Amino acid sequence: MGTIYVGVGEFAASKTPGDVIKTMALGSCVGIVVLAPSIRAVGMLHVALPDSSINTKRVKEKPGMFADTGIPILLKEMQKLGLTGGKIIVKLAGGASIMDPNNTFNIGKRNILAVKKLLWKYRLGAVSEDLGDSISRTVSVEVDTGRVQISSPGRGTWEL
Amino acid sequence: MGTITLSETNQDVIKNILGKVTNVPMLPQVVMRLLTLIGNSDHSLHEVVKIVESDAALTARILRVSNSAAFFRGNQVHSVSKAILQLGEKMVAGIAIGSCTSDVFKSPLHGYESAEGELWDHSLRTAIASREIASKFAKGVGADLAFTAGLLHDIGKAILSEFLKGSTREMAQKCDAGSYDFLQAEIEHSGTNHAAVGEVLANHWNLPIAIVEAIQHHHSPAAAGDEFRALVYAVHLGDLVAMMGGTGTGADTLAYKIDPGYEEYFTVDKDAIPELMLLVQDEFTRTKSAVFLDEGV
Ligand SMILES: [Fe+2]
Ligand SMILES: [Fe+2]
Repeated sequence: MGTIYVGVGEFAASKTPGDVIKTMALGSCVGIVVLAPSIRAVGMLHVALPDSSINTKRVKEKPGMFADTGIPILLKEMQKLGLTGGKIIVKLAGGASIMDPNNTFNIGKRNILAVKKLLWKYRLGAVSEDLGDSISRTVSVEVDTGRVQISSPGRGTWEL
Repeated sequence: MGTITLSETNQDVIKNILGKVTNVPMLPQVVMRLLTLIGNSDHSLHEVVKIVESDAALTARILRVSNSAAFFRGNQVHSVSKAILQLGEKMVAGIAIGSCTSDVFKSPLHGYESAEGELWDHSLRTAIASREIASKFAKGVGADLAFTAGLLHDIGKAILSEFLKGSTREMAQKCDAGSYDFLQAEIEHSGTNHAAVGEVLANHWNLPIAIVEAIQHHHSPAAAGDEFRALVYAVHLGDLVAMMGGTGTGADTLAYKIDPGYEEYFTVDKDAIPELMLLVQDEFTRTKSAVFLDEGV
């Protein structure tokens, strides 16, 4: 048991009691947390960009980098832990942006849309989300309780 | 946003801040000469080599980095000129700055709730992003200069941080409520902001004018001098790209406004941004692992 750190474009799943999965400082990236109560497992994915078509080479190395290739992999990872037909709970965090009148740099919003679209393909929707705004978020999920926590410098810690 | 109004009540705080700046050690000659040279668009590799070779510690460091796993190209590099060609001038300047200002860059920024090393990471990522923006979109802007300016843009935070201690939550709250950006919160709590303090430090260090302008105006690029404005816009956007990638300095991450005035100087293709972010992410990881961690910066 311990803390599993998920870097940019990475994912992890666990049902080991005591484990915590954590990802640091989501800016415009989106953290996707999945909980599977039927097998007492949790998973997390740290997506940086909406669409894998921009760089097919990177898809092979790090499919978790993109929403469209990352989410299927996270779900597969949960299946590896024994998930078959049971219910999946999804929670989302991140997708922040700077105040940009033209939205040119609003990758956060594009990430959020891509993630939601992909989840919808699997008939999944988020039960809770903490998305957008102009803050950096660190997210963690505990295997034991399924509790998802967000923290941000200057803003303390809260539950998702 | 350009001009900073100093409130009367904060005069004492500002005096203290300026006092802190004067106590920051001067940059070593070798770094100054490198920065001045690189800021000058027509200079030769030979001149860079000469400056590097005048400093034994810097020479050793640069050879070591160019032979590190991330930059190694199959042959041991023994000459400074080959090392510089391999690393690029901006990396040389970056290594020089990093090695002699590690005290300034490395200390935690308590006033921003930012951990040790985060200012350096943010600066390095901004440097890389500014360089890529300069070379991809802003053709007239020197990529090496953009790198150096990006590396130094937030240097004022190292000084201002301790004067914001105890106010971080309140500042964050004001920003989250919508009407503030972090610069305004800084002014309210200290009488000045990190860009203005950075300018004072940059002048204390006698940095080249282009870099001083980039530091002073990285959040207010429209106020920069004509000939520097495109460069300052590149750093303005580079800073944003670094923060979007999750590499900020704590409480102020992303709590700024973007100035769309860059469109007057260069065009940024919306569809090119994901690729840009990916490139910056990869370059940051590579550079960080090669240079700055094992160099102990
Ligand atoms: Fe800044
Ligand atoms: Fe910055």
